[in-house]
Amino acid sequence: MPRSVPTICPYCGAGCGFYVNVEKGRATNIEYMADHPASEGALCSKANASLEVLYHPDRLLHPVKRSGDQLTRISWDEALEAAARGLAGTLRRFGPDAIGILSSSKCSNEENYLIQKLARLLGTRNVDNCARLCHAPSVVGLNRSLGAAGMTNPFADLANSRCIFVIGSNLAENHPVMSRWIHKARSKGAIVIVADPRRTPTSWMADHFLQLRPGTDVALINAMASVAIEQGLIDRQFLDLWTCGYQELKSSVKDCTPSWAEGITGVPAEDIVSAAQAYAASPASSILYSMGITQHTTGTDNVQALANLALICGQIGREGTGLLPLRGQNNVQGACDMGALAEFYPGYRRADDPSSIEHFRQAWSASDLPVGRGLTATEMIDAAADGRIRAMYIVGEDPVNSEPHGGHTITALESLDLLVVQDIFMTATASHADLVLPAAAWAEKEGTYTSTERRVQWSCRAVDPPGEARTDLQIVCSLGKRLGLPLDYPDASAVLAEINRLVPAYQGITRDRLGPGGLIWPCPSVNHPGTPILHSSGFKTADGRATLLPVHYRPPAEKPSERFPFTLTTGRIALHHNAGSMTRRSPSLMQRAPNLFVEINPADAARLQIEDGDDVEVSTARGRTRAAARTTGRVSRGVVFMPFHFPGTNILTPDARDSQAGIPEFKVAACNISRSD
Amino acid sequence: MPIYVDVSRCVGCRSCEVACQRVHSVTGHIRVGIQDDLASVPLVCHHCQEPTCAMACYSGALIHEGERTSFDLNKCTGCGLCTLACPFGIIHVQKVAQKCDLCSGREAPACVTTCPAQALSMMTYEEATTRLRSLAAAVVVRGGRA
Amino acid sequence: MIALDASRCLGCAACSNVCPNAFITLEQGEERTIRFNRCSEECHLCVEFCPAKALSLVPETEETSITFPLVKCPSCKACYATRPMLDRVLSAVPSHLQIDAYGTGWVEICPSCRQDLERDRLSRQVIQRRCRIEMR
Repeated sequence: MPRSVPTICPYCGAGCGFYVNVEKGRATNIEYMADHPASEGALCSKANASLEVLYHPDRLLHPVKRSGDQLTRISWDEALEAAARGLAGTLRRFGPDAIGILSSSKCSNEENYLIQKLARLLGTRNVDNCARLCHAPSVVGLNRSLGAAGMTNPFADLANSRCIFVIGSNLAENHPVMSRWIHKARSKGAIVIVADPRRTPTSWMADHFLQLRPGTDVALINAMASVAIEQGLIDRQFLDLWTCGYQELKSSVKDCTPSWAEGITGVPAEDIVSAAQAYAASPASSILYSMGITQHTTGTDNVQALANLALICGQIGREGTGLLPLRGQNNVQGACDMGALAEFYPGYRRADDPSSIEHFRQAWSASDLPVGRGLTATEMIDAAADGRIRAMYIVGEDPVNSEPHGGHTITALESLDLLVVQDIFMTATASHADLVLPAAAWAEKEGTYTSTERRVQWSCRAVDPPGEARTDLQIVCSLGKRLGLPLDYPDASAVLAEINRLVPAYQGITRDRLGPGGLIWPCPSVNHPGTPILHSSGFKTADGRATLLPVHYRPPAEKPSERFPFTLTTGRIALHHNAGSMTRRSPSLMQRAPNLFVEINPADAARLQIEDGDDVEVSTARGRTRAAARTTGRVSRGVVFMPFHFPGTNILTPDARDSQAGIPEFKVAACNISRSD
Repeated sequence: MPIYVDVSRCVGCRSCEVACQRVHSVTGHIRVGIQDDLASVPLVCHHCQEPTCAMACYSGALIHEGERTSFDLNKCTGCGLCTLACPFGIIHVQKVAQKCDLCSGREAPACVTTCPAQALSMMTYEEATTRLRSLAAAVVVRGGRA
Repeated sequence: MIALDASRCLGCAACSNVCPNAFITLEQGEERTIRFNRCSEECHLCVEFCPAKALSLVPETEETSITFPLVKCPSCKACYATRPMLDRVLSAVPSHLQIDAYGTGWVEICPSCRQDLERDRLSRQVIQRRCRIEMR
């Protein structure tokens, strides 16, 4: 008799649930979860194909040691001993700052909590996760403006929205279930505005489509704010009650007229005006955004510009309103909540605030904890290259494929004294490791995951890990023990109990309360129902007011030049996920999206004598990559697009970063493209 | 009850294709095509009221039953007459005919449940006609915006 | 041995498809050739499944083959069917169903082009509307 085990999808941050059917210890199929609050049973192509990954022949089955080009199978005992000895040696010789730890936004909250705890008990500040590459500007920007980082309203509430402004998000492909909620709002009469450099399937849902030039978001958003102010569409009462800094903001956007913005963004001034009117005048407007906003040198500015727009129009804190950052990984929200970030301890307690250090020192019975911001994921790679970091422990991340300027990343990792990688597959990063530890996949372990809605859900263990693979929780605990650290937890529930005690927003999210649909944080007590809508009675700031922080348009770091006349922008497609270590091993997805391609406008292609399907070479100042040309009106002239799921794309991307959040500018690079024959 | 396709909702994510392939193991019965980079259209058996495929099928593998055209795998010879007799080119042959069976045995077809955008739904012929009329009316209400 | 009545054969190749021993083989290009090789099993499946009742099993006969030119799709030029198969469809389908709602005689178009037409028709209105948004 098959059992149906409820799990949470291992792909994007939407947090859809599904059942894994298990027969005789083997997962045989999946089944939809019709009553799931975020997805109502729907699943994207990746989730439908997820079991193909679970039983893929490439799964890592036992620990492996590398010497030279030789990979040798070793026992867990040898592997853990070697990892512990290596980390302890680095610690002794070079101090804690020479160790860098990357936690995983694919891992559960409990595992992330333990990984950052391991890092900090070891004395290193250098712990981070790939949120650095997707929504670090949201964490920094929203915390600063609104006092809390996270989606303000849940998906289902979009149905109450009368105007939905989507900017820098191709949610139709990347979070397909969101299109369900947008359609629900549309069928009740909501207006949809989509701003994107590409005409994506998301733009198909739009009533207003603003095709802006890559990296010009601040100009567009400021101009919309300026229109709202000029036309008296702002919410005076809300501004007086709940915000500060309005006068400064007003004067900062005074000159941001629609015609000024047209010159920068390429969007006709009258379109900017009508979009601004639609957004500001509607009784309830929401903003959805994603990496098209964050992955810029102006990422934090972009986020703050959006927060400013929402605040002046009073479109926050009510049903159908809000700022909704759509997060890319299943647990990137949770990894941040758990403090697997260079600048935050669990619960966003600042790492440079002595009182938070003292709080955790006592709670963890530690003699000493590191103070101050550590190196971010991207900075760790730089530090590895120049010898400041000598040992890295990377859990469930593939920086070789996911960090910008891939060639640089490989050199950096190769120069480490010790690289320990823990993953389910031999990723590009793992192939450079000294030690590779085989981990369990989502359905092979239990724990909580926090979706982009802030929804904390328990995912059950359906089957055993293959071979000798172990859960990340087990591995981190045994590694900690060998390093002499007090990391002794029997299971995820025990870790969650500690999280309940130490992270106020998770206080009421106890194991026994986590039924279907989970709970949405903040949930400060065991009787609290959770908080689907944030900021409904003021903001989590010292004075309860949000801050309007003026931002000014700055162009992207790279401008097209004679040598590199095109603007390359990157993103995701419906059939793949992030660095692709899972989806590129999924036959039914690969059958439909088998290779790297580059989208180019037919007019540009004709000029370069490139035909659809031609093999072309794309080059930037950092490297070159071959891809199949796709001639399409999806991109404007002068802009080319490549998905980043295949090795190759991030060889090209720049490592220019946002100075505030450290995110690299994946979305704008100057490039050239030519036929490769 | 046939599957009704609302093209205005489809976002081309191809979840239906992968779900159908998962449930029917060999190959899927639904195919999504992108049209001019401006729309995507899932094509799936309409379960026609007067199914020409069943008229051409000599082996009795395709039979019209109530509001569906059912398919009996054991009777199919893979001759391909149904492929030539489908006005929409939807049935294809891979050893045997590959045709939507509305996921008999499931509460609803996998493609309908999995569709994130709710572009696919189960409707009787009558409901589908009514829905088309009400959609047209809704466009009028929205001042021409669909 | 398999005997073929060439005047009845549609060229559908169901026989080749059901033959468990690959005695009946198929070659396809601009023409379709079905070869009936020496059969030693005589399982009867091909005879049973032949839609045209063109096959029979006989004690002794020559190995035989039959070749059909394939009909070209007027639109994409793909060779997609034998004439007798299309005629069989035309005779099975009442004439009012041979013409679709748009007046197209769909039988003479290949299935892949029928799909294109169907997609085009289903999306036309939606695309026109989306173009208008583009233009604004």
